[in-house]
Amino acid sequence: MFLKHIDLTTALRPFYLPDEVLLFVQDNVGLYEGKFKLPNYQNGQVYLTTHRICYVDKEDPRSYSVALELKEVDRYEFYAGFFKSSAKITLIPKPPKRSSVLPSSVSGASHQRNGSSLSRSDSPRSNPEQSPATSATWVCTICSFSNPVPSNFDPVTANAHTPLPPCLACGIKPTLAHVLKAAISGANNRAMNTPSFTSSYPSLDQSGVTPRPLSENLSLDLASSPQTPQNDGESTFQCPRCTFSNHPSLLSCEICGAPLISRKQSPPDAKSSLNDIRSESPGPVIENPKKTEQGSINVSESVKISFRKGGEKIFYERLKGSMTQRKWLLQDAPPAPTRSRLADEDPSTSSPGRSGKKAAGIAGLEQLGLNMRKNNELIIGSAFEDLEALMASAKDVVALAERLSRQNSSGADAMSAEENRLLAESASQLGLITTKDIVGGGGSSQSLYLSELSRNVAEFLTDDSRGVLKQAGGIITLVDLWAKFNRARGGVELVSPMDFEKAARMWEELKLPVRLRTFRSGVMVVQGLDRTDQATIKALLAWLKDLHEFPPEKEVPWDWQQFGMGVTAQETADRFGWSLGVAEEELLMAEEHGAVCREEGLEGLKFWVNYIDMGDVKPAKSQAQRDQEAIVKALKKSGMI
Amino acid sequence: MAAASTAAAGADTSFRFPREYSFPAFFTRQTNLTTHHAQLSKWSALVLAYARHHRIFRLGLSAAADSDLFYNRRLDRRLGMPDIRELLDFMKRDGRIEYASGGGGDGAGGGEGEVVFVYWRKPEEWARKIEKYVEETGQKGGVLTVYELGQGEGTRGTEIHGIDNEVLLKALNVLVRKGRAQIFGQDDSQGVKFF
Repeated sequence: MFLKHIDLTTALRPFYLPDEVLLFVQDNVGLYEGKFKLPNYQNGQVYLTTHRICYVDKEDPRSYSVALELKEVDRYEFYAGFFKSSAKITLIPKPPKRSSVLPSSVSGASHQRNGSSLSRSDSPRSNPEQSPATSATWVCTICSFSNPVPSNFDPVTANAHTPLPPCLACGIKPTLAHVLKAAISGANNRAMNTPSFTSSYPSLDQSGVTPRPLSENLSLDLASSPQTPQNDGESTFQCPRCTFSNHPSLLSCEICGAPLISRKQSPPDAKSSLNDIRSESPGPVIENPKKTEQGSINVSESVKISFRKGGEKIFYERLKGSMTQRKWLLQDAPPAPTRSRLADEDPSTSSPGRSGKKAAGIAGLEQLGLNMRKNNELIIGSAFEDLEALMASAKDVVALAERLSRQNSSGADAMSAEENRLLAESASQLGLITTKDIVGGGGSSQSLYLSELSRNVAEFLTDDSRGVLKQAGGIITLVDLWAKFNRARGGVELVSPMDFEKAARMWEELKLPVRLRTFRSGVMVVQGLDRTDQATIKALLAWLKDLHEFPPEKEVPWDWQQFGMGVTAQETADRFGWSLGVAEEELLMAEEHGAVCREEGLEGLKFWVNYIDMGDVKPAKSQAQRDQEAIVKALKKSGMI
Repeated sequence: MAAASTAAAGADTSFRFPREYSFPAFFTRQTNLTTHHAQLSKWSALVLAYARHHRIFRLGLSAAADSDLFYNRRLDRRLGMPDIRELLDFMKRDGRIEYASGGGGDGAGGGEGEVVFVYWRKPEEWARKIEKYVEETGQKGGVLTVYELGQGEGTRGTEIHGIDNEVLLKALNVLVRKGRAQIFGQDDSQGVKFF
């Protein structure tokens, strides 16, 4: 098992894979390999997603951030903590080369026959993980040579049409029954030889880790994967006070009312609690972990995640959920099989389709449009046929929705098109948002929620494809950003203004590339880290300089070649793409720096290049300074100096 | 107006306003302290140069606000009254103007509201000029009337000629304090003796 080094976003969060969904975040955790602590991985945040467990170090996130793929995890254990020992979750890797285990295969097969044999009967697909099942052999009836059973041979799906390779020695094809028998007996032998395997799954026979054919996983998961497993004896939490086994979703004990989320050592005030939460633990530290290439760690034993600030129970629950759902299988899955209806229609539509390709001109275009509409109709029609299909073709439907929205908005004016695009694309982002639900509930995790929100907003801002900051001329008021952000969330899990402001204030602390800035008037704006007042002034002055070159629109009484033009905040906002408030504040800032000066007239407040103070006027001297100079002068005169 | 009458004598060539005078923002009070200080300094220099050019010794505020000193008709921009007062306060700190005590002098300032003396030469500088003049003309130890000094034939051609009476008296008082002169006589016919 590998702890792979991962790349982080600008907001120092892990980059998610496509389809990956964040489930839970907890801070103040440490990593262990076996019984030993991993140095440099002792204080960080752990991100549980549908695909991975990511650890991001707090001190040096860029160098010490690793991820563990859930698909490499065989099983996981929960340890509630004892006295000074923090609660831990142990992840035990799969053995390196595992061959298939027959009993589970068979149980899977029976399932499959009961359940979804219909959907599979015409799509023989073998499970990639079953490929190492080559140890079974069949003995040729002609020459008695021991041939290996082909790797892609699956006793469950094999039928009369399954191609069988001939004997390697004599070239005579075996009968299906013969090979089938050999495969099953081979697998039986294996199961008997390795009893430890089967016994190591005490309760995971159904939900677990055993490989099964892909499509069956899908159907099983969809059918039997409730978000919170309810009747599972394992998922109850034992109350630390009265030992009553509570339902996992309860936050306090049903009998004695004691808090179940173990934060005994953390008072409500998160700031002070941070100090007495230990990032040190008495456990031994491993000296030099086996580093492979760049920050990845090869772990032969189990990996432990130590929760020093609680959150382990929710993490455990969500981990269990995601191990059950096994979303990572979807990632490698081929697109959902096109419905049989399509196949039925195919012969009838194929001939006009082919002729349509040849057709030229308007007729050809119309034919193309017709085909496309038919295809769209098919996608929508099949998508809503049942829930399973909808899930399978979710990608197609989202893509279609986006395409439609783009088509719709192409007619409207540019602004609304832009907004529509934002809305449509926010759909894909929905899965990755931070919610109060994802980070653990309770008082002390408020700061964690805020820091996650802070990172989330920073990502939203710096995302190049969305270009929120760029569109606003590199600077945006906090209120505008808040509105945009909530809109991008698609109307769910909206962020309160208070939380938003608090999150924005954390950027500096979290070393994120955006900053909150408060103007003298109290207006709060958001801007990139690299944006300085000097750069802004430079841009303003360059623009004002341009006005010396181009004649003004109407006659002006002053010498515009010498003084240029005065500009209002409105003009500045138009020029730089800022909002009016921002433009005003920036101009005032430039005035404060002495770069521009003001002119109040009938046309309002205008700003000019500062021709008043060109540096030719000496600053006012204080009385003391003047006296001193007079003394020096007098002394010089009298020849003392 | 006293200022205008004295101005007429020297106004043979038109006054050349500085560059800032045609800069629209020059007529708005600046909020930036450094810029504001520069603005006041430039205005101060402008007022003094203007007064020197036109030989203005006393300035009636309300009349001056409409004169082309503070009102650029071409730009249609003017320095507002509060800003003028602020400017005068600034100049007063520098010793460049002084508020005339109400209705004093030859009485011309009485009807025009506030009047200020514009010291494009300070009384001390005037005192030095007078002393120099007295020395050069060999009148040390002699007695001169104040009128003679200001308006008399003897000073014609020098800078002292046409000086405002009150400014002249202030300058003479400087000399008196130094012990170089003595003033005697009544209000109308004051005489001064130089030592």
